[in-house]
Amino acid sequence: MYRYDEFDHALVRERVEEFSDQVARRASGALTEDEFKPLRLMNGVYLQLHAYMLRVAIPYGVMSSRQMRRLGHIARTYDKGYGHFTTRCNIQYNWPALTDLPAILSDLADVEMHAIQTSGNCIRNTTTDVFAGAADDEIEDPRPWCEIIRQWSTIHPEFSFLPRKFKIAVIGAGKDRAAIRTHDVGLQIVKGEDGETAFRVFVGGGQGRLPHIGQEIASAVPAADLLAYLTAILRAWNLLGRRDNIHKARIKILVASLSIEAFREEVDKHYATLRHEDLRVPEDEAERIKAYFAPPPFEDLPKVSGPFDRAMLADPDFARFARNNVRRHRQPGYASLVVSLKPVGGVPGDITADQMDVVADLAERYSFDELRAAYEQNLVLPHVKLDDVPTVWRALREAGLATANADLATDVIACPGLDYCSLANARSIPVAQALSRRLADLDYQERLGPVRINMSGCINACGHHHVGHIGVLGVDRKGEEYYQITVGGSPDEQAALGDIVGKSLPADEVAPAIQRTLDRYLKIRAEGERFIDTVRRVGPDPFRDAIYETLDATA
Amino acid sequence: MKIVTANRLSDGRVIYAGAGNQPVEQLAQASVLDEATAEIVLADVAGRPDVFVNPYLFDVQDRTPSGRDRLKERIRSAGPTVGHSVVGGVG
Repeated sequence: MYRYDEFDHALVRERVEEFSDQVARRASGALTEDEFKPLRLMNGVYLQLHAYMLRVAIPYGVMSSRQMRRLGHIARTYDKGYGHFTTRCNIQYNWPALTDLPAILSDLADVEMHAIQTSGNCIRNTTTDVFAGAADDEIEDPRPWCEIIRQWSTIHPEFSFLPRKFKIAVIGAGKDRAAIRTHDVGLQIVKGEDGETAFRVFVGGGQGRLPHIGQEIASAVPAADLLAYLTAILRAWNLLGRRDNIHKARIKILVASLSIEAFREEVDKHYATLRHEDLRVPEDEAERIKAYFAPPPFEDLPKVSGPFDRAMLADPDFARFARNNVRRHRQPGYASLVVSLKPVGGVPGDITADQMDVVADLAERYSFDELRAAYEQNLVLPHVKLDDVPTVWRALREAGLATANADLATDVIACPGLDYCSLANARSIPVAQALSRRLADLDYQERLGPVRINMSGCINACGHHHVGHIGVLGVDRKGEEYYQITVGGSPDEQAALGDIVGKSLPADEVAPAIQRTLDRYLKIRAEGERFIDTVRRVGPDPFRDAIYETLDATA
Repeated sequence: MKIVTANRLSDGRVIYAGAGNQPVEQLAQASVLDEATAEIVLADVAGRPDVFVNPYLFDVQDRTPSGRDRLKERIRSAGPTVGHSVVGGVG
């Protein structure tokens, strides 16, 4: 895991001191809210419905046990005993007092964490594959490149006041587990013609009011030129992007209006002047950073594990967890474990302080002190010995964290919605909870197989509803909550936006309608087809019919 | 009829303008105002940014939020509906 150098430490500490002074001046009345708002947003502080909200950065979703314990300490000391993991792999606290924020940021700085660039019109937290460094299909670990991007982008003088926010995601495998085509820039590590590391670059993706799937702008940018190419993209957008209309200020709008070819020409003009200059990533520095992400000291183990296999035979609940939440690992005898934050009826992404301590302890003892935050609002223990998986599972079960539903229908992604968010038009969490209770039967969920259901409480799409296999968007109809359903979206390497199936539904009809959709899939699927495969084969019509078929008497 | 609401500077909690335009935490304690008076109270609390952040008016009928943002105001007054962490809930 990357450790801060003296420059990182100094920068974060100076920011804490600076913001502490700003908070004190606001509390005393020396600063007005209009003066203070841009300052607090630069430090991840929003003012939501009920309280301030602090969004803490988790660079590329990687945490140590010490950091996770500190997140729990903050939840317990300054908040209401829990935190909320988001689709950008950050954690949010919903109830901090303004006057506690300096202390919270100081506590975070102690463990090399902060809230810089978690808001505002800047380059946001870079995200990546939650199984980076562990996946068995990986060409190269993307985390060192995320760290290089972090260092380049942090308080970048040219890119701190962009037309709007800018999100980057990186993957190191052909399988896209970071939804890179829904980002302003998506990077996929590939091997260039010479066998050296290079980046396939997608640009202009994004969700929200005007969703777009990112388009390929370059097939193989040499790794040493990555920062030059990113700078060229951002410079082109910074110069040409609209600033007169907030809804049209994203790069996706510029790319769509210019065409990818014309935008590529603009980028190439800047790239030509940048690529042989100071932005070239020095090989020795790249190697120094990569060394922080060297594989942990794995033991040489057989591929199979007696304790694991015996537990599979002895305990059906463990077997189900193993089927659904345990992922193959590149190292024989190891696995990655998905820690679901989606218990039946729970709030997607929420975790209590005590649960944070449990997960931190398990990571320290069984996963080389490492944890990941997934954009699906779950956690991952990336490197667990197969022999230890039954023990870890029992501890997770004790803590209420062993729901065996990873990638299944109740692994719902949902934004905070109108329960917390001042931008929302409708609630999303209660709709997710109702669906979770309705589909709770894990036998049924396993019969369905992988289904991605995403819910957003407004068009800003924090719940990624556009790319859910089934998407749910809350809309306001004359002061009443209604929900628009989409089918056929996908966030992966076959990224697609879902089709709106018809008129929106009242809240209590959403879960029954989704269940009818899933039941219809069970009736019409071909052998071996996942839900999304069936949608792609037959189109949305059969599902539209199911959604509007009847009102559900048991709703 | 209208009520003046805002967030409290110190902790961001929902507050209302009550008797004497003082901040109160409960909707039940808020002053219910006619349109003209509400504008005067709004201007008064807007002049106290050390307490009232982003003040605005919302419609009520019998002290219950009734305008276009009635659900939002019900949630603001009673807390999230998601089943943990705060008192009440509007279900």
